Amino acid sequence: MTKRTITLNVNGTERPVQVDSPDRLIDVLRDQLSLKSVKEGCSTGDCGICAILVDGKLVNCCLMLAAQCDGRRVTTLEGLLEDPTMKRMQGSFVANNAAQCGFCTPAMLMASWDLARHSPEPSSEEIKIAISGILCRCTGYYQIIDSVHEGCKGKGR
Amino acid sequence: MSALELYSPTDLNDALRFMEHGDRSVAVIASGTDLLPRMRKRQVAPSVLLDISSLTEDLRYIRRSDGTVRLGALTTVADLLESPMFDDRLSMVREAASLFGAPQVRNVATVGGNVCSASSSEDLIPVFLALEAEAKLVSAQGARSVPLKDFIVGKRETALRPSEILTEVSFIVPRGHNWTAYEKLGRRNMLIIAMVNEALCLILEDDLRTIRSARLALNRVSGKIPALAARTNAFLQGKKVSDGTIAEAQKVLASELSLTSDFRGSGAYRTELALTYLKRLMERCCLKAGGTS
Repeated sequence: MTKRTITLNVNGTERPVQVDSPDRLIDVLRDQLSLKSVKEGCSTGDCGICAILVDGKLVNCCLMLAAQCDGRRVTTLEGLLEDPTMKRMQGSFVANNAAQCGFCTPAMLMASWDLARHSPEPSSEEIKIAISGILCRCTGYYQIIDSVHEGCKGKGR
Repeated sequence: MSALELYSPTDLNDALRFMEHGDRSVAVIASGTDLLPRMRKRQVAPSVLLDISSLTEDLRYIRRSDGTVRLGALTTVADLLESPMFDDRLSMVREAASLFGAPQVRNVATVGGNVCSASSSEDLIPVFLALEAEAKLVSAQGARSVPLKDFIVGKRETALRPSEILTEVSFIVPRGHNWTAYEKLGRRNMLIIAMVNEALCLILEDDLRTIRSARLALNRVSGKIPALAARTNAFLQGKKVSDGTIAEAQKVLASELSLTSDFRGSGAYRTELALTYLKRLMERCCLKAGGTS
């Protein structure tokens, strides 16, 4: 099998990587680029724990081939650490005890940040839909929903 | 996943030329949300993937002209949700899209992929069956249109020839007093494959009571592929809408359903759901019509 070189724009930086055709985006991000906020759960699109943004859209990167992402824009939590909305969201998650085991937290933050961009003051229903594709194994959804409310508005409900 | 090559065509013609090689182990991949898990489980083992995901210029569109709606194969489920095309009479398209997978999946999963997957797990197929949709199949030799009910020939088997790519799903917008509705139940609300999903397109006569045409489609009728409930639809044609008619239609549907049990739910439970949904869909369509139910 021949490796091909593709270029991913990862968190604003052009990153050439060598991939085989079957390599998944999640493996390239975690193993080659050491972006460990990207978690692997079910590997079948059932749990959403690997949610990141590709070209600004929330996607499950366990279901994407890296070779299909040549030239595309990839955003992970690592790329948003200085972003004001993300900082506020993270603070809100901490303040509301939204992380129990923490495994789903990066994906929840990505989905929440994506929601906050499109809907600055979302309803609970909008929040539930936005995070509906991410399974919290601890089932601490209410703390997460409260956190997103607060993180979006930048103040308490 | 073992030895595997990925070919990225420059445009649709390039993709069609590639398909001419007639290699049976070529799989067309768009977003891969269905194909990749199946490859990991070794349910399919293509040696070559033809990656059409970049052909959005040719294949990603929602158009309506002369009473026909055309959906390019790469139209995403999120595109369906965002389109104003499915507000009113065609609202079941939006309903199905809103219950499809979850946001991350809807953002990339395509109309063409859902239809080509051709199993009872596909949320959009009953909707398109109820709209009497056609699939446009294109090869380097030319194009043909196949009614969706003939396109799906078995579980994960379609009428696609080895050299063909599905490029479009289209349907004629029903005329007159027509309404649509959709129901789905799985074991949880999101990110779930349905036990039953059921779509109805109901067309009434001018009196808003007499059924001109009912097109009920389910993810399973008998066997494990989506289909129109032909006998129920034939029964409803010409009947006046009433509680009695709906009860009779439920009996007809019960007689034509042959639903098996699996880990998602028992056949008996699926049948109860399907009958309940028939009533609910009829009532919802009639409510929209402002007629009686």
